[in-house]
Amino acid sequence: MKQVNTIGGQDLREMFAAAAGWLEKSSSEIDALNVFPVPDGDTGTNMLLTMRSTIEEAYRAPDNSAAAVAQAMAKGALMGARGNSGVILSQILRGLAQSLAEKETFTAVELASALQQSAAMAYNGLSNPVEGTMLTVIKDVAAAAQAQVAGDGDDLIPVMEAVVDAASESVANTPNLLRVLREAGVVDAGGQGLYTILEGALRYLRGEMEQMRFRKPQIIVGDIHATKLPEMIAADEIPYGYCTEFLLKGEKIDTGKIKKKLEKKGESLIVVGDEAAVRIHIHTLDPGEVLAYTADLGTMHQVSIRNMDEQHQDYLEMQREKAPAVDTGIIVVVAGDGLTEVFTSLGASAVVPGGQTMNPSTKDLLQAVERVASDKIIMLPNNKNIVAAANQVQSLTEKTIEVVPTKTIPQGVAALLAFDYEANLETNTQLMQKAAAAVRSIEITRAVRATRLGGLEIKKKQPIGFLEGDLVAVGNSTTDVLDQVLARLDLEKAEVITVYCGADAETDEAEQVSGSIREKYPQLQIEVIQGGQPHYDYIVSVE
Amino acid sequence: MAVKIITDSLSDITGDLVGELGINVVPLYVRFGEEVYRDRIEMTTDEFYRRLVQDAALPSTTQPTPHDFLEIYQKLAKETDEILVITLSSKLSGTYQSALQAKNLLEGKCRVEIVDSQTVAMGLGLIVVSTVKAARAGAGLDKLVDFVQRAMARSHLICYFDTLKYLAKGGRIGKAQGFVGSVLSFKPILTIKDGVMSPITRVRSKAAGIDYLSNSAANFPNVEALAVEHCTTPDDAEALVERFSSFFPRERIYRSTISPVVGTYAGPGALAVSVLEAEKA
Repeated sequence: MKQVNTIGGQDLREMFAAAAGWLEKSSSEIDALNVFPVPDGDTGTNMLLTMRSTIEEAYRAPDNSAAAVAQAMAKGALMGARGNSGVILSQILRGLAQSLAEKETFTAVELASALQQSAAMAYNGLSNPVEGTMLTVIKDVAAAAQAQVAGDGDDLIPVMEAVVDAASESVANTPNLLRVLREAGVVDAGGQGLYTILEGALRYLRGEMEQMRFRKPQIIVGDIHATKLPEMIAADEIPYGYCTEFLLKGEKIDTGKIKKKLEKKGESLIVVGDEAAVRIHIHTLDPGEVLAYTADLGTMHQVSIRNMDEQHQDYLEMQREKAPAVDTGIIVVVAGDGLTEVFTSLGASAVVPGGQTMNPSTKDLLQAVERVASDKIIMLPNNKNIVAAANQVQSLTEKTIEVVPTKTIPQGVAALLAFDYEANLETNTQLMQKAAAAVRSIEITRAVRATRLGGLEIKKKQPIGFLEGDLVAVGNSTTDVLDQVLARLDLEKAEVITVYCGADAETDEAEQVSGSIREKYPQLQIEVIQGGQPHYDYIVSVE
Repeated sequence: MAVKIITDSLSDITGDLVGELGINVVPLYVRFGEEVYRDRIEMTTDEFYRRLVQDAALPSTTQPTPHDFLEIYQKLAKETDEILVITLSSKLSGTYQSALQAKNLLEGKCRVEIVDSQTVAMGLGLIVVSTVKAARAGAGLDKLVDFVQRAMARSHLICYFDTLKYLAKGGRIGKAQGFVGSVLSFKPILTIKDGVMSPITRVRSKAAGIDYLSNSAANFPNVEALAVEHCTTPDDAEALVERFSSFFPRERIYRSTISPVVGTYAGPGALAVSVLEAEKA
């Protein structure tokens, strides 16, 4: 096995050049991950441009010592830093350069302490550090390097391996730390970029330049899925005026003072650099005010002011390109967080809250129709009392509306699943109707009062079961009622049973219910989902 | 001198069929960690799927090198002065690029034409089979390039994936991205469109998936060739062949296995049906 005990300036430069090349291969995919701090979709590109400037400057280093090259790289990164991620990357390189000052070469132990310094500098540059971003990744990386060198050996390769592993884990964990990532079902783009850079560096150390030519970096996938549509995320993260960034050159510039002054002028403020050159990045409503202040402190370079609304549009555009090309929008009526997620993750374009005992108005439906970008719309009312309102929408809009008259949640899910991305509106309406008709729907709730219905004597609060909307069973327990309803069905040909637990269903009981189905019908595939719907403790579909 | 035809291992043309057609198949590479294998040559399909399921790390795949193509060009250039290369979709792999680079390295008067089939698996395989027939009928290189381009429009690939796990992890999934991340479990039905994986629809069980595949193939009015492929479940593929034999001569249905390179994304249990429509008179 190859062993590397020290790294000099030349290797340091080549290592980062290789890392930049590696990053380039996935920069567009990293762009598409981007949702934080603003979903503008340019993180990959920004990091790549920053790396290019870093490498260019590295070749201008006065000599080939690690110190000189690291210093040049830090300078190049600062001069060329773009966006939040670029600026943080430049801070990481600055920490590296500080730690390697006056060193001809560096060892594993020195690398580990340099990474500590990088992490400290990265946090330092931000007025409001947020976890679940590349900051967390560099921190985890530094800790992993420290732990590895505390263990054994002088070889730098295992240290870098520990670094890359830690980065990968840390990136996969970012959605757990940052809500907006979780909702978008992505990992942090900056973290992914940093991981890719580190991995590229490791591959260089291992001597894998040849393989790198024919391979691509992997995008890390967290154990998460999107719960919100891109439009919803863009709407949540309210754009903040203009993304303003520039390089300020002068003499004896006081970064602390600038930071303090600009803190109140906007968000995502970053002020980094030294007395001679400072990179400033801020999302502000009034870029003029920011520039007027800094103009007195020195000369401004590479001034970039971008309207973040436009960046938003680009982001949405990019997400649309990523998604299947659909010119048909699907609007569903559903209540409950879990069920909303089910429909959204299956590609519903808009969700109108509603269901049993809370029917949306025609106007609510019409608003959703107007909101969806498509001119052709399929509506899934998912309740028999909402079908009529849905049918009225066509007379109020220019758009073409087809209503697939689903009367239950299982019918709605089956219809949405059967949507054919290649088919036209007419064919899809037929396919979806057919799929809705093929599924059996069971709903279980509790009687609101004592009554006698369809030959059944019902006490108040007793569990009652509906099959296709008809009351068919009453019993002392939910399990009992469900058994009665299932007994009415021919399960010979059934394949999948899905149980959606309601907001009021108790966990113990839900387990009992699903356990009893599993036991009785071992040949079937059983899936239990937290639907969170009101009114019905359980909704069960049999397919 | 007849035109010599080259394709890559993702055409899923294997075994005796390679010899019968008299073509050359350039393998892609499959990598598990540090171990690199030539697709189907140094690692059998069965072995691959066993490791795909068992190994913690996912395998990765790599295109053939330009040198791999150049070697075959040089060998064939001694027998012919016209070579036709038909590769899998350039949007799924750099194989097309390698074939192109090799062409620029080739010296001598042998002409090489390379066509990006925009498809994969037997969707590509059936195009190659049909092109070999045209070549045997005496068509020259230019005519064959034209023939392949028309055949591409007639070739349809429909896949059933038994799991979304590998699709999500493997990257390169094109428009099928929208299928990843559902709360509810389902099995995707996919096709290839404009060279990338594209969603068609979703089913909730394998039985429904097999129904879908057999119905879609049966819907083509005029079928020239038909292929059925599996990854790990030959019985499912046989069930499909059985159904197809009601409208297509059973002995003419091509049977193959989905290449490990595609299997990296498809995962175990995937099935694929390819239909080559007959040319309109």
